[in-house]
Amino acid sequence: MRSFSLWLVGLIIVLIGSFLWWEPAAADFAPDTAVTLPQQQVSGDDRTDLACLLCHQDTTAEITFPSGETISAQIDLDSLAHSVHGSGDEALTCTDCHNPNAYRSPHSGVTAPDYASYRLEKAAACEQCHVQPHLDSHTQLAAAADTAVACQDCHGEGHTVQPAAMFDAETGTAVCADCHTEKDATTTDPAGLFNAIQYGLFDRQPGENYCLACHTQPGLTMTFANGDAVSITVDPDGLHDSVHGADNPWQPLACANCHRDTAPYPHEPVTAASARQFTLSQYGLCEQCHNYNYERATNSVHGDALQEGNENAAVCIDCHGSHEIPTPNEPRARISHICEQCHSEIFNEYAESVHGAALLEEDNPDVPTCIDCHGVHDINDPTTNLFRVRSPELCAKCHANVELMDKYEISTDVFETYVADFHGETVTLFEQLDPTAETNKAVCYDCHGIHNILPPDAPHAGIKTNLLATCQQCHPDATDNFPDAWTSHFRPSLEHNPLVYLVNLFYDIVIPLTVGFFAFMVFTDIYRRVRERVAGRRAAGGE
Amino acid sequence: MARIEHLILLISFTILAITGLPQKYPANSFADSVIVFLGGIETVRIIHRWAAFALMAGSVYHLFTGAYRSLVRRERMRMLPQRKDVRDWWDTVRYNLGFTSEPPKMAKFNFGEKIEYWAVVWGTAIMAITGFMLWNPLATTAVLPGQFIPAALAAHGGEAVLAVLSILIWHLYNVLVKQRNFSIFSGNLPRHQMEEEHALELERLESGGEIWPGGSLQGVARRQRIFLVVSVIVGGLMIAGLIWAFTFEETAITTIPRVTREIFTPLGTPMP
Repeated sequence: MRSFSLWLVGLIIVLIGSFLWWEPAAADFAPDTAVTLPQQQVSGDDRTDLACLLCHQDTTAEITFPSGETISAQIDLDSLAHSVHGSGDEALTCTDCHNPNAYRSPHSGVTAPDYASYRLEKAAACEQCHVQPHLDSHTQLAAAADTAVACQDCHGEGHTVQPAAMFDAETGTAVCADCHTEKDATTTDPAGLFNAIQYGLFDRQPGENYCLACHTQPGLTMTFANGDAVSITVDPDGLHDSVHGADNPWQPLACANCHRDTAPYPHEPVTAASARQFTLSQYGLCEQCHNYNYERATNSVHGDALQEGNENAAVCIDCHGSHEIPTPNEPRARISHICEQCHSEIFNEYAESVHGAALLEEDNPDVPTCIDCHGVHDINDPTTNLFRVRSPELCAKCHANVELMDKYEISTDVFETYVADFHGETVTLFEQLDPTAETNKAVCYDCHGIHNILPPDAPHAGIKTNLLATCQQCHPDATDNFPDAWTSHFRPSLEHNPLVYLVNLFYDIVIPLTVGFFAFMVFTDIYRRVRERVAGRRAAGGE
Repeated sequence: MARIEHLILLISFTILAITGLPQKYPANSFADSVIVFLGGIETVRIIHRWAAFALMAGSVYHLFTGAYRSLVRRERMRMLPQRKDVRDWWDTVRYNLGFTSEPPKMAKFNFGEKIEYWAVVWGTAIMAITGFMLWNPLATTAVLPGQFIPAALAAHGGEAVLAVLSILIWHLYNVLVKQRNFSIFSGNLPRHQMEEEHALELERLESGGEIWPGGSLQGVARRQRIFLVVSVIVGGLMIAGLIWAFTFEETAITTIPRVTREIFTPLGTPMP
């Protein structure tokens, strides 16, 4: 009885203290980001504790489950007082967890069939305050009751709950290691523990469920120092439909696969000053798996711009998205729409071009999207001499492809006739010999346009409607006849460029005839000389 | 005189061929390496044009010496083709094939040399005209239909191949392979070569014929004066015309103007 009196005095002191100091602890739960966890007001009714403890602090009674398992009904008050729920500002009373309606004395019998189920049932009480997702991921295993993990398995039995800080310490890692011991991980090292969880007993990630328990709540926002507010609510369906989601042919990615550093809860505070800064700090995550394309993008015109301090320069997630990453080229038009995000003016020009219209209106599989000319990831600077000099090859990739062009009845002579001409010959030579030198010789796009390429015979704007003006861009003094100096990509024939055809024909005949004539003369001369020499030798031999 | 002309022709022709043919066959890797060796296509073109200038200057010079010799000195123009040349050719073929044991006796310029000479005249004319057209397409098309430019290009290339092949096969065989004939450099031809190729001229000279037959020195001083005046005027005009032709037009702008435009024009709407 003496210990009871001591406890009573102690309790009264604690309760008075509680009345003096207790206040709703919402602020303490609010993380540095603006995640707001639902808080339940605890009742703080101390009298119920007294009532409960009258019986439970010193009893030999046992609770028996239908399965035959038994547990002691005694509460270790010492442990309770040292638990995170038994002391301090957040002290709970018995009825905060044990619903007073259900637990009114005399208690009704337990309904859970066995101890494991009972613990899961009780774990629901934790969720009144702690909407913590990893509970979810563990309790989902309840279907296989013997592997179900209840809150208490890690955090301690209901009355001995340890503070969260404990899980940062070495002892906490040991708790996880109780189950996740499959791999030889150093469970005393947080990173090692993480791996042990990730690849350990269940070979599962602390996956989406862990994170999504919070991050599916609507209206979650994260506010940066500069006032930028971004939503951190993740659409689970979008995530599943993402290339990284359920249908990923390799394996679905869990949140932690990318967010390796931020994944464990509580999160480290975000230090990025703005939403853009945060994006720029995050895209490096892609490198973990996509290092090839990551590197190429880093060396691209976007990567260079970023290096030069242009924060608007596109990084992985600007084009691909972050949580909801679709297949970037389905439909093909998506590719160009992605570029449109930043390059809308150029996109609008492209959209009206023969290529863009076919892509956007007909979903044509053959016309070039942005990346077919500019590359993807390793996008080059299109304003360099190198790009200019190599551009005809770029066009030739499709326009010299007979199979492809036949579909559209487009001549594939364009490239060869270009190369055979003065402009093309020069540019080709440049390309092979000195590709970074500047040249004033026309390349395909000087005449046909860049993004706004139209069919040559398009009414009003087609190149044929005013070829002279096109020539005059570079040849300001050109007169009416001048455009005909260009063979218009036709191979010379009687129909097109007949004069060239006839000149070629003339030399095709004259050269062999002349060479043949000279060769004939040379051979007859050799014939005579050989004959004379042989005859001379015979005569010499005869003497 | 002829030796200087030949030297000018030899050097300019070789340079023109070396700088020209690679331009006709840009897809050929050897052609490319020639162009690289010479310092790139633009340099090659400049060399080509200077060589063309030399060839043109040499041609003008040749016209003047020719005019001087035929008009002032009244020499016979023995390079003109004659009916005998055809006969000589026919006899040479028959002799070579063994149908006759006597080679034809040929004059100072035998049929093979005449073919070469007139081929050079024809070729140079073609090359000069088409080359001018290619060099000055704007001026050309101001007068002629545009199609003349690609036609000129075709002719320039075709004629080049024809000329180079002719020189390689015919000329080099005759002066280097068959026998080494360096008279065009030394001015002297060995007697046995003269007997073989110019027997008639040898006979003529040995029977006391003039070195430059048909020449008449009567009144030559007066003609020389006239020629001097005319040649200075005409020559000056031709050289001026040549320089004019070489700097005739500004065919194209030298630098394609760079267009600067805003490329970052974000939509501000979410990703598709």
